[in-house]
Amino acid sequence: MSERWMDEPWAKSEEFWYSGKVTRRTLLGLGATAAGALGATMLVPAPWWHAFGQAKPYKIGTLQPLSGAAAAGGKTALVGVEMAVDRANKSGGIGGRPVELIVADYESKPDVGRRKAEKLALEDKIDAHVGGYLSNVCLACMPVWEEHKIVNMITVCLDTTITTTKCSRYTFRPFDYAPAQAVAFAPYLVNKLGKKWHIVYADYAWGQSTRDAFAAEIKKNGGEMVGSTGIPLGTADMTPFLSKISGSFDGLFGIFFGGQGISFLTQTFDLGMSKKYKIAGDGAMTPSVSLPAIGTKGEGFVGLDRYIPVLEGPLNTPSHKKFFDDAVARLKAIDPSGPLPDRFVQSNFEGFNALKLGMQKSGFRGREDTMKLIAALEGLEMKEGDDFPQGDKILRKEDHQAFLREFIYDLKNVKHRLLEIVPKEKTLVPPACKFV
Amino acid sequence: MSIPLDQILIQTVNGLVNGMILALVASGLTLIFGIMDVVNFAHGDLVMLGGFTGAVTIAATGNFWLALLVAVLVIAVFGAALQATTLRPLLGRDPLTTILATFGISLVLQKYALWQWGPSARRIQEPLTGQFQLFYLQYPWYRVLTAVLSAAIIGGFWLFLRHGKYGIWIRATMQDRIMASAMGIPVPWVHTGVFAIGAGMAAASGVLFGPLGGVTQNMGLDFTLRAFIVVVVGGMGNLGGSIFAAILISLLEAYASLVVSPAQAVIVSFVVLILTLLFRPTGLFVPTPK
Repeated sequence: MSERWMDEPWAKSEEFWYSGKVTRRTLLGLGATAAGALGATMLVPAPWWHAFGQAKPYKIGTLQPLSGAAAAGGKTALVGVEMAVDRANKSGGIGGRPVELIVADYESKPDVGRRKAEKLALEDKIDAHVGGYLSNVCLACMPVWEEHKIVNMITVCLDTTITTTKCSRYTFRPFDYAPAQAVAFAPYLVNKLGKKWHIVYADYAWGQSTRDAFAAEIKKNGGEMVGSTGIPLGTADMTPFLSKISGSFDGLFGIFFGGQGISFLTQTFDLGMSKKYKIAGDGAMTPSVSLPAIGTKGEGFVGLDRYIPVLEGPLNTPSHKKFFDDAVARLKAIDPSGPLPDRFVQSNFEGFNALKLGMQKSGFRGREDTMKLIAALEGLEMKEGDDFPQGDKILRKEDHQAFLREFIYDLKNVKHRLLEIVPKEKTLVPPACKFV
Repeated sequence: MSIPLDQILIQTVNGLVNGMILALVASGLTLIFGIMDVVNFAHGDLVMLGGFTGAVTIAATGNFWLALLVAVLVIAVFGAALQATTLRPLLGRDPLTTILATFGISLVLQKYALWQWGPSARRIQEPLTGQFQLFYLQYPWYRVLTAVLSAAIIGGFWLFLRHGKYGIWIRATMQDRIMASAMGIPVPWVHTGVFAIGAGMAAASGVLFGPLGGVTQNMGLDFTLRAFIVVVVGGMGNLGGSIFAAILISLLEAYASLVVSPAQAVIVSFVVLILTLLFRPTGLFVPTPK
């Protein structure tokens, strides 16, 4: 008798397990049909393509996490880039040339991201890149863009070092980052919500750098961080760690995104902490896609974000309405629950538009004009309008970091409610980047 | 350094509650391994599918218990179909083949969930919303209910294994497949049935956990890793061992978080895993062969 039952002769017999057969003929037939269907789809050009005649398209690559841990966010982010590219092509492209968007899925992994970035640069020969989502992937890919002299317009990654200690001549961030958010939010936290704060954060690069930025600004504004608790990334049930937090302080400040944002808000509510303390935090905790799961347990949460899906105050403009309606329609197509647009859609949309503006200003023809494009993007002023519905912003020359207005909001009836607007001038922090 | 007694007791409650939910996930996993020698990497995705099925049902009916029942039945049937069409042809081959197959199934299920339900997270309204005072905390009754329900499901399954006709078939197949087959037990169908039960238990955990952290496409990831640790520590294929290991690891993590940071506390489970593999490779609750 064999040591393992699978090695027994009877277990080798196919009939014991399975009576059906997949023949080579069936497999080849199915394969040919699938390949034919796919090929036919790829051969049909987009309806706007004919308008450009023989004009050579700009190839713009976009790295997004369309599978793996960050897939849900990546899918939403891609909607923003696609919206902007479609809009550009429908209005005559860039300088009369169409834009071809090449989408690459990096599976939420830095090693795959780096490999896909190499492929975009070497095989697809892209002219520029717009995208990125996870900070570790953005950081892993930055040397690739630098090596191949490709402008990299990041659209979600929030790690502070991207535009400070690890800044790159080729990388631009056309949206906010933790130090600016902390400068914008800390006065409100300390003066209106409470002096003493306990910070609970996702224990990795982004969470730690954001914690440090908020701790410093809370102190600068006369408040105090009495303690902090780092929750390992991916921990769904944080109750054992939250249960330990007790003592005399005014508020709990959360720094999470995705499922952990939902867990933090529901579990602080379940443990009665939201009755005892003010709950505030980073806007990444309450994007529209998370609100159905948070439900009424998030009532009263106060957050800061560069974008909230409301049509009031400074966001009650025709250009924002246009962006909002287009995004809602596109999001409905990928999500039957019909979420409202969030910061990821906004920054991907505006990130491409910033690149487009730079390409138009510099007369960019291809990768050979990368330095001209960089010169045009440095100090680029983006005016509120159809390209930038979030508001005015400026891409600082010294560190390629943008500064923009921020929105302080709370959750009321499972919706964002605008409380205060922080003008972009009040979010400024000194540059901390030295380009090599 | 002295640790206040109230914190120790709170963490004991947390450890027991988390341990029971984890035990429910790990039971299905260990059962499938015990009978088929298949390491099911898609088990966490069955948790996620159960959560979504429950969320859809509760959105339509507003009834948590019906949602729990529907999710268990739908995912059990789905699990049976999955086993019959995908895993049954691979049984008996190199274990790597089934590992790769279940890993592939996991990717397909994640993509399917994203395509079917989109990026939005879903909510499952708990059937019990009250809290009781546990020292300085308001502790939700629902967490206690999840532990009780998990224990009830596992207990019910244990009784079925001990006394039910089909439970005896399962035990017979686990002990000696050749003899079971010779005695007229339809071994391939027992495999399918066990996979369906394991999938159903995973779905139940998805619905039970839904109110605590929302239903997301990634909710199974955290469970999968922890359940694998539990199954290895408890002894692959050993149901009782997995339950004890789930409670032990959850309690150890909860106590460790009182003295070290959460990031260090979760390392405790990996330390237990490494020590088990070094000194009792068949698991803490299975005798090591001489």
